[in-house]
Amino acid sequence: MKDMVDIYTDEGDVYKNIPVQAFSPLYNPYITKIIRFIKRTAFVSLEQLQQNYQRGRYGEMTALRKDEIQMEQYIRKWNILKAAPEIAARMQEIIALNPKLNDGDGAAEVKLLMDGKLLMVTLPDRRIDLAASSAPLFTITGVALAQAITEIFDVHIEKDPDGCTLIKTGIFGRFPQTREFGSNCPIFAFMRPPQMEEGIGSLFRSMMINHVVALAKYRTFDAVALATILEQAGQFEMGNALGWFERYHLLGMVYQGFNANNLVMDLIQENAEGTVGDVVHSVIKRAIKDGLLYLKSDKYPIVQPSGYRMYSTRDYPLWNAYSVAGALAAAIVNIGASRACQGVSAALSIYSDLLSIASGGLPDPDAGRLMGTALGFSFYTHSIYGGAGPGAFTMDHVITRHTSGFLTPCVAAAMCLDAGTQIFAPKVTSGNYLKLRKELPLFAEPHRKAAEAALSIKDKF
Amino acid sequence: MVEEFDEFEEELDLSKLKRKKKKEVVKEEEIITKTIYEKQYYPGMGKVSERRRKILNPEKRLLKLRDLPDDAIVLLLGHRLPGSLYRSIHPPLDELIEEYDPIKNIVKPTSGARAGDRIRFVQFTDSFWRPPFAPWLRARMYFTRFRGVDTVIYSGREIMELRERDLETATKMLMETELFDPARTAIRGITVHGSSLRLDEDGLMFDARRRYVLNKETNEVVYIKNMHAQILDKPISVGRPFTEDELREFDVTYRWDTEMYKSRTEILMIINRIQKGRAIAGWNPEAATDI
Repeated sequence: MKDMVDIYTDEGDVYKNIPVQAFSPLYNPYITKIIRFIKRTAFVSLEQLQQNYQRGRYGEMTALRKDEIQMEQYIRKWNILKAAPEIAARMQEIIALNPKLNDGDGAAEVKLLMDGKLLMVTLPDRRIDLAASSAPLFTITGVALAQAITEIFDVHIEKDPDGCTLIKTGIFGRFPQTREFGSNCPIFAFMRPPQMEEGIGSLFRSMMINHVVALAKYRTFDAVALATILEQAGQFEMGNALGWFERYHLLGMVYQGFNANNLVMDLIQENAEGTVGDVVHSVIKRAIKDGLLYLKSDKYPIVQPSGYRMYSTRDYPLWNAYSVAGALAAAIVNIGASRACQGVSAALSIYSDLLSIASGGLPDPDAGRLMGTALGFSFYTHSIYGGAGPGAFTMDHVITRHTSGFLTPCVAAAMCLDAGTQIFAPKVTSGNYLKLRKELPLFAEPHRKAAEAALSIKDKF
Repeated sequence: MVEEFDEFEEELDLSKLKRKKKKEVVKEEEIITKTIYEKQYYPGMGKVSERRRKILNPEKRLLKLRDLPDDAIVLLLGHRLPGSLYRSIHPPLDELIEEYDPIKNIVKPTSGARAGDRIRFVQFTDSFWRPPFAPWLRARMYFTRFRGVDTVIYSGREIMELRERDLETATKMLMETELFDPARTAIRGITVHGSSLRLDEDGLMFDARRRYVLNKETNEVVYIKNMHAQILDKPISVGRPFTEDELREFDVTYRWDTEMYKSRTEILMIINRIQKGRAIAGWNPEAATDI
């Protein structure tokens, strides 16, 4: 098994002859780095925490913030923002492990971001290695935060017993009476807490699509690459990309997510003024040109009496990669024309339908899963059943999670191309991530960096 | 003289006088793609499949049967008053300051998107009783003939959402051509119910809002309310209903009395093949090679 591809960026730079295995989340140094970062890093919104204490917001809050509980009798006038540097220093002391042991992998870092409004907590490697789940992101950070606040504001159990309990309630809400942490919880990470995991192995997919768009700064190919990285990290964890399926996933990932052999870009350029139907025919034309599709004979039943031809494929995983790359191109062509992202679900489902008919009955992208998921997605993003815009779904949402990681990159691309028609736009739902983007250089240009990282290890395969 | 003439004739090269054939320089790549791949839109023999192919193929022109003025379309849609300005949801794309992204410059936005129009909808209902068009085919056709579409399919209805001025162009095309039968397809924004009900005494599809009536003098269907069932100041005629023969001609569905069950063997075979492929590929992708 040796599949070599050339990776093209959206600016036309080429990275030649890279084996697809170099993009495996298990090997690619850049993807590994992102996964490690996600596993280790938690954020604390000190602004939110201060509001909780100063306005008595300890209970549940609706997403619309209309009928939240405000308990004014339990207000504490702690100036958290002013004490931010001390809190950060104290938390770092509490979290860090003895640096002399275990080759010094016990170092922790607590950094102030965004003018002291946000804490970025990097947990020690050892605490993560020896943890069973994503819990330390919330437990270690939360408890360290609680202890730091107790010490700094001198809250004593004998003088202020209520204050002691309110510290916990301000951080975790009503938990453990509720399953999730309170909606006013100031701690957030790129992953859900483990008790909220949406099915086994899907923690890496727990980011909202709008967050991905914000981190990629509305750049289509970068958002696609980032969404692909997170999706496939999840696929590899949940055992979906193992053995029989590994090559299938890697090819799909490289062709759709990283514009391998310039396929996506060619399809977009060819159909810059075309329709989704035109993309379908371009995909098949390209596949025939590359020798991927062929006719077994020119007689019945391969050629039907009406002249309809039933193509066969020489390599199904590769044909699937072509078709999911085409799905991305179809989404971009359709949304790029309307500059309104709501059409992405319909474009994906009808693209799949048209493709399987135009190719003479070959299975549609992702063996039918893309069409099914996109149909459900269109149902639940529209009309009376519609709750949220396409970007407000998380990648592990019960509606979006059923493909092998090939749907959400298309949705992320559509959100990038939206010109401002959405209520749930990244600016509304993901303000923190838009600001974080400036502080986290790791997430800049993921497409290029993943390709460079793959190039650096290509000789080892 | 004669000899001279002969000599002259010998010198004359006749091949130069012949009409030259243009030598076509065809690249090797093009031979492969052109000889093997021709666009195919739908399987099946017979009139119904042919009709489906025609509707899906954007290169085929649809028959224009009636002429509706632009203002009539605007009134029927009911999203704005005729002659009024288009309202916008965001500044025009030329004035919009956006983040750097090379893709945005490649795909050409539609005129409505460029102006930042609102997104509006049109919804068509197709009767169960031999209509010239059907919802499941509408979705496919919208995506092969229009750009920047959003659509949701339902059993008897099909909504299409587009930027406002693109929507008006698309609706005009859908209502003026053979795809629209005034009696058995209708434009309905609310109370869409009626697809599967019996036709009324005039042969029109049932409408609880009674948006249209048959003018018995002219034998034309007249809309007295717009898509949202708001009463129009002036009724709008959308032409005469199709005759039964025309409906048979334009039918897109296999039926016992026209195209029998056996005539769709080819389609059933393809559906079977797709489903078999999905099962095999979902079980083990490598096993789906060469199916």
